Amino acid sequence: MAAALPPRTPRLGPVRWLRDNLFSSWTNAILTVVSLLIIYWAVSGIWEWGIAGGMWTAENRRECLDANPDGACWAGVVVWFNTILYGSYPDAEQWRIDLGFIVLALWMAPIWLPRVKGKTLIGLSTVAFYPFLAGYLFAGGEKGLFMQAMVSAAIVCFLYNSAHALIGVFAGGRTLAAVLLQTAGLHAAPEKTQRNALLAFLAASFLAVFLLQTGWTAAEVSWTKWGGLFLTLVISGIGITFALPGGIILALGRRSKLPIIRVVCVGFIEIFRSVPLITILFMATTMFPLFLPEGFVLNKLVQVIVAVCLFSACYMAEIVRGGLQAIPKGQIEAAQAVGLGYWKAMGLIVMPQALKFMIPNIVGNLIGLLKDTTLVSIIGLFDLLNILQAVSRDVPWRGLHKEPLFLGATIFFVLCYAMSRYSRHLERTLGGGQQR
Amino acid sequence: MASAADRPDRGGDGPFAFIYNENVRNIFYQALTFALIALVVWYLFTNTAANLEARGMSSGFGFLWKTAGFETDFKLVSYSAGDTYGRIYVVGLLNTLFVAVFSIVCTTLLGFVIGIMRLSSNWLLSRVAGAYVEILRNTPLLLQIVFWYLAVFTLLPRPKQSVDLGGLGISYLNNRGLYLPDAQPEPLLWFTGVAILLAVAGAVWLKRWAQARQDATGEQFPVFWTSAALLVGLPAAVYLATGAPLDWSIPELRGFNFQDGLRLPPALLALAVALIIYHSAYMGEMVRAGIQSVARGQTEAAYAVGLRHGPTLRLVIIPQAMRAIVPPMISLWMNVVKNSSLAVAIGYPDIVSVFMQTALNQSGYAIEIVAMTMLFYMTVSLLISFALNIYNKRVQLVER
Repeated sequence: MAAALPPRTPRLGPVRWLRDNLFSSWTNAILTVVSLLIIYWAVSGIWEWGIAGGMWTAENRRECLDANPDGACWAGVVVWFNTILYGSYPDAEQWRIDLGFIVLALWMAPIWLPRVKGKTLIGLSTVAFYPFLAGYLFAGGEKGLFMQAMVSAAIVCFLYNSAHALIGVFAGGRTLAAVLLQTAGLHAAPEKTQRNALLAFLAASFLAVFLLQTGWTAAEVSWTKWGGLFLTLVISGIGITFALPGGIILALGRRSKLPIIRVVCVGFIEIFRSVPLITILFMATTMFPLFLPEGFVLNKLVQVIVAVCLFSACYMAEIVRGGLQAIPKGQIEAAQAVGLGYWKAMGLIVMPQALKFMIPNIVGNLIGLLKDTTLVSIIGLFDLLNILQAVSRDVPWRGLHKEPLFLGATIFFVLCYAMSRYSRHLERTLGGGQQR
Repeated sequence: MASAADRPDRGGDGPFAFIYNENVRNIFYQALTFALIALVVWYLFTNTAANLEARGMSSGFGFLWKTAGFETDFKLVSYSAGDTYGRIYVVGLLNTLFVAVFSIVCTTLLGFVIGIMRLSSNWLLSRVAGAYVEILRNTPLLLQIVFWYLAVFTLLPRPKQSVDLGGLGISYLNNRGLYLPDAQPEPLLWFTGVAILLAVAGAVWLKRWAQARQDATGEQFPVFWTSAALLVGLPAAVYLATGAPLDWSIPELRGFNFQDGLRLPPALLALAVALIIYHSAYMGEMVRAGIQSVARGQTEAAYAVGLRHGPTLRLVIIPQAMRAIVPPMISLWMNVVKNSSLAVAIGYPDIVSVFMQTALNQSGYAIEIVAMTMLFYMTVSLLISFALNIYNKRVQLVER
C-alpha cells in the first residue's frame, strides 16, 4: 500500500480569497455589491460634508452657509471647543482640571506596568485618597482641617506610589520599602524595627506635606460652573467608583441567609432596576429636598450623583449576583472546611473567582453608565450633551446641530470603544486559566 | 496548639459565650438592620411632613380630579386642556406604551436582520453589520435621540415642500411630522374583526391537525401557505363582501398646513427611529450569540439525517437558538420601555414628560406623582418578568 499523502496545503492568493469570501455565489456577489454601495455612500457622505466641504474658520454660521450650504461648519465647534471640554470653568483655573486628570493617569499607570509589585494596594489607594485630592482641586475654596489632612495624605500617597513605580521599573521589580530600608542601612534589622522605621518615615513625610501645603489654597469654583466633558467624567467617575463596592454589598445582602437583610436588598435592587434612570433623577431633584431637614439644601449636582450611584449599584448588584451564582458551592464549603469565616471565604475565595467571570458584564455596565450620564442634561446640568446643544442656541451659531453632536458622538465612541476593547483583552488574559 | 485555646468554642462557657452563638448573632444583625431602616424611614417621614407643612402643601391623590390645563402634541384618547390630571396620566401612559410597542416590534425584526448579517459568510457584509453594531452601541441613546430630532426630523422641508411618500399623494413627511391616511371605521367593520379571529383560530387548528397527521402517517401538509392564504383571504373576502366599511381620511394641504389624516409629530418619529436603531444593535448581538451557541454538530447531524438547509434552520437551529435569544431579548424589550422615557428630552408627551415633568411642576404633588409614575414602570417590568419566567419554564432543558 502506498503511504498516505500529506494533505495539499492550499495556496490562497487574494483572488482566491475574494472568490471564497465575497463572490462564492450569485447572492453573495449581490450582497457584496450592496455592501460596497453602503460603504461608499457612508464614506463619501462624511467626506463631502465634513472634510471636503467643512469650514474651520468663520465668524458665524451665516458665513459658513454662504460659502457652502451643504458642508460642515466646524468653526462653531472650534470656537466652543474649550467650553465643550471644561464647561464655564474659569480659563485661569482650568489647569487644575488638567492636573487632576494627569495625576489620576500617573497614579493608575503602575497598575499596567508589569514589573511593579503591590498592584492591589495601588488600586485601593487610588480609590481611597484620589477623590479627596481631585475634589479639592476641582472645587477649591476654604480648606478645613479634614480636607487639609486628606489632601496631604493623597499627595504623600501619590508621591510614594510614583517613586515605588519608578523603582519597580528601573531597579528590577524591587519595592520602595526595600530601597528605603537599604539606604537607611536597616535591611538586616528585625522586622519590627523595619516596620517602625517605615511608619516613622511615612509620618514624617505626611507632616512635611501637611505643613508645606497649609499656605496653599485654590480659588473656589462653584459647581454651577462645572460642565462639558469634565462634568460628564466627574459624574460617571464617581458612579463607576461607587458601583462595584455598592453592588457587591447589595448582592451579598440579596444572597444572605438572614431574611430581613435579604428582603431589604431585594426590594431596593428591584425597585431601582425596574424604573428608568430619568425617573430616579426626577425623584432626586423633587423629593430629596422634601426628605431633608428644613434649611438643609443639597445642591443639584450632589442629588444627581447620589441618584446615579444608587442606580448603578443596583445594576451592578445583579451582575455580581450572576457571577456569584457561577461559583460552585463546593468552593465556599471548602473555604468553610479550612476554617474561614463568611467574610474571609467571600473575600479570598469566592469574590476573586466571581469577579473574573463578571468582567465583560461589569465593563458593559460601566459603558452603560458613562452613556447614561448624558441624562443629567435633561434636568439641567451642563454635561457634554447639554453643552453640545447649547452651541446651537448661541446666537452666531443658531441651528448648528449636526457638527457638535457629531463631535460628541465621536468622543463617546472613542471612550466606550476603548473600554470594551480593554475588557475583551482582560477577558482573554485573565480567562486563560479557564480554557485548557 | 495555641489557636484552640485562644478561640473559644461555640458552646464554650463564660458569661458572654452566647455572643458566639450563630442564632443570637443572626437575630442581632437583623434587629440592627431593621432598627436602622425604621430609623431612616421615620427620619425621612418626619422631615417630609414638616417640609410639606412649612410650604403649605397638601398631600393625597385628590389632585387627580383637578383640571390640568395644558395641551399635548399627541394623544391616543381624547384629551383637552380642560381635562384632569388623572386623564393626563392615562394619555401619557398610552403614549409611552404606543411608542414602546411599535419600537419593540420593529427592533426585534431589524435586530434579527442585523444578527444574521453579522453571521453572513460574506466577509464584507458581516463587517458592515459589525460596524453598525459598534457605532450604535458605543454612543449614548440620548445623543442619538437628540440627533434624530434636531438634525433630521426638524430640518425636513416645510409643509408646502413636503416629501410625498411613495408619490401616491396620500402620505407626506415635513417638519411638522408625518401625515398618514387615517382609518375611520364604519358600523359593519366588526364582521371583518370576527373574520380575523376566525382565521387565526383556523390557522392554529390547521397546525395542530397537520402535526397530528404527520405524527401518525408521516405525511407533510403545506401548513405555511394554507394558513397564509387563510389569514389574508378570509378577512379580505369578508371586508369586501360587507362593502369595504372603512373610510380613509386623506391628509390634504390647506393654507400653510395639512388638514385631516393622522399626524405623527417629529418628536415621536425621532424617538421611535432612535429607539429602534439603537436597540436593534443590541438585538443583533443577541441573535448572533444565540445562533452561535448552537453546537456545530447539530447542523451536521441534521444534514446527516437528510434534512436540507431550510428545514435544518427552521426545525433544528432556530428552536435551540431561541432558548438563548429569548431571555435577553425580553429584558431588551423592558429596556425599550424604560428608554422611551427619554422622550422628555425632545418633548414627546410620554408619561414622564407630561406627568412627571409638566404635571409635577404645575401641581407640586411630588411624592404622589413620582410614586404613580414608578408604579407604572414597575407594573410593566413585573408583567414582562412574569412572561419571561413562564417562557423559561416551558423551554427549560429537561435534565435528569
